[in-house]
Amino acid sequence: MQIESTPPSPGTGAPQHGQHVRQFMAVPGAPSPVATPTAIAVRGFSSWYGSFQALKSLDLDIPSQQVTAFIGPSGCGKSTFLRWINRMNDTIPSARAEGSLQLNGVDLLEKNLDVVDLRRRVGMVFQKPNPFPKSIYDNVAFGPRLHKHYTRAELDELVEQSLRQASIWNEVKDRLQASALGLSGGQQQRVCIARAIAIGPEVMLMDEPCSALDPKSTLAIEELIETLADRYTIVIVTHNMQQAARVSDQTAFFFEGRLIESGSTEDIFTKPKNKQTEDYVTGRFG
Amino acid sequence: MSVHLQSRIINLRRNLLALGALVEQRVTNVIEVIRDGDVDLARKVRQGDAEIDQMQLDLEGECMRLLALGSPMASDLRMILTAMRVSNELERIADMCKGISKRVIRLVESGNYRYPPALVQMAEAALNMMRDVLVAFSNEDIRLCLEVRRADSYVDDLNREVVAWAREWIAENVECSGVAIELLAVSQRVERLADIVTAIAEDTVFLVEGRLVRHGAE
Repeated sequence: MQIESTPPSPGTGAPQHGQHVRQFMAVPGAPSPVATPTAIAVRGFSSWYGSFQALKSLDLDIPSQQVTAFIGPSGCGKSTFLRWINRMNDTIPSARAEGSLQLNGVDLLEKNLDVVDLRRRVGMVFQKPNPFPKSIYDNVAFGPRLHKHYTRAELDELVEQSLRQASIWNEVKDRLQASALGLSGGQQQRVCIARAIAIGPEVMLMDEPCSALDPKSTLAIEELIETLADRYTIVIVTHNMQQAARVSDQTAFFFEGRLIESGSTEDIFTKPKNKQTEDYVTGRFG
Repeated sequence: MSVHLQSRIINLRRNLLALGALVEQRVTNVIEVIRDGDVDLARKVRQGDAEIDQMQLDLEGECMRLLALGSPMASDLRMILTAMRVSNELERIADMCKGISKRVIRLVESGNYRYPPALVQMAEAALNMMRDVLVAFSNEDIRLCLEVRRADSYVDDLNREVVAWAREWIAENVECSGVAIELLAVSQRVERLADIVTAIAEDTVFLVEGRLVRHGAE
């Protein structure tokens, strides 16, 4: 992986770091726009796999402690972008990036960045639940044990709190030593979320977290996402338009590696400005 | 569902415009009813109301089905929401026509039907607004919507003229006060009809731009 980092360029017309303003529908009597701090600031960001350019000059502010949904047809670059936020693309030799990508002021493209520490700050939940073949307890305790020495009591407390935040404590509290692989798909996914929470991240990346789940488990995860947004910045990639509309505050639409439009979810799904966004959210293509 | 949804939304729009055309015809009829005191035509307007009620119910039912089953977004969602409101508004305009016809029948049968020129002018202005709003809806023409909204104040002015005329008439002919009150009820319905047309113009702005401009908002 090669990275060329450039400072954010002023005057692009996009809001600058820390200046993100959440948009509202122009409803008479609606609250005034509320300024929300930016967690992830993206400026002129492009990336390649070898000679193939996967992302083309993105400018985006991802607000802190809100849910931002990435939508777009398959191959549009949403997951690629997600994987740059916690540097998972480091494992792909041909991957390289240019531009600026900052998490709360820290340059994520910095060559000497401690990616282990970054992945503590940026947790990730995948499409398919991927618990380790260990007990429920050990799954959640796995990350904290890597980063710091905890006493048994401290670890017990951390595991319980993480499982509680992931809304699965009551279902598993009596079988913490049972294998996580014995849980249902929805429960496994919530254990994976607890595992991500346990390391105290600032950001949670979710790559189609419900696509392998039944409607009941999907509802449980969606309710959980809403609760987690009080504490964490959440970025979710989803192909389910209704899910993006239900769970997110902000939505960004990607197409062929470009960010076509971003804004409040309400605006994107009721009155998008761009014709391509309109056609995508109404199901006319993609 | 998406291709299916689109064709159903095209049908919804077509049916809404068909209802609009039918209601416009009612308003045209009502001008003749007022101007000529045509009792036969007034009875036809009253009898035709059931057809409009049924069309409105059918449209509303289709809107509910599309909302429940089609997961509409963006312009599709706005079209369905607008169709629900506008179909209801068109049905209320038809109700106004029915109410006006009922009162004109009573006035003509009382043998003392008279009216000031401003009343017919009002009804004609309301009809022009109605025609314009249907064109604006069909062409998604925001400029024309705003013109329709402005035209409503002309109807209000004419309504005030009718009220002044009725006051004078009652003052000079106390025995005609009952008839004058019926006439004022006619005038009030024409004025209300124009208000509803204005609401349709505002709904059309929402359809096109997603902006809510009701209650005087720009």
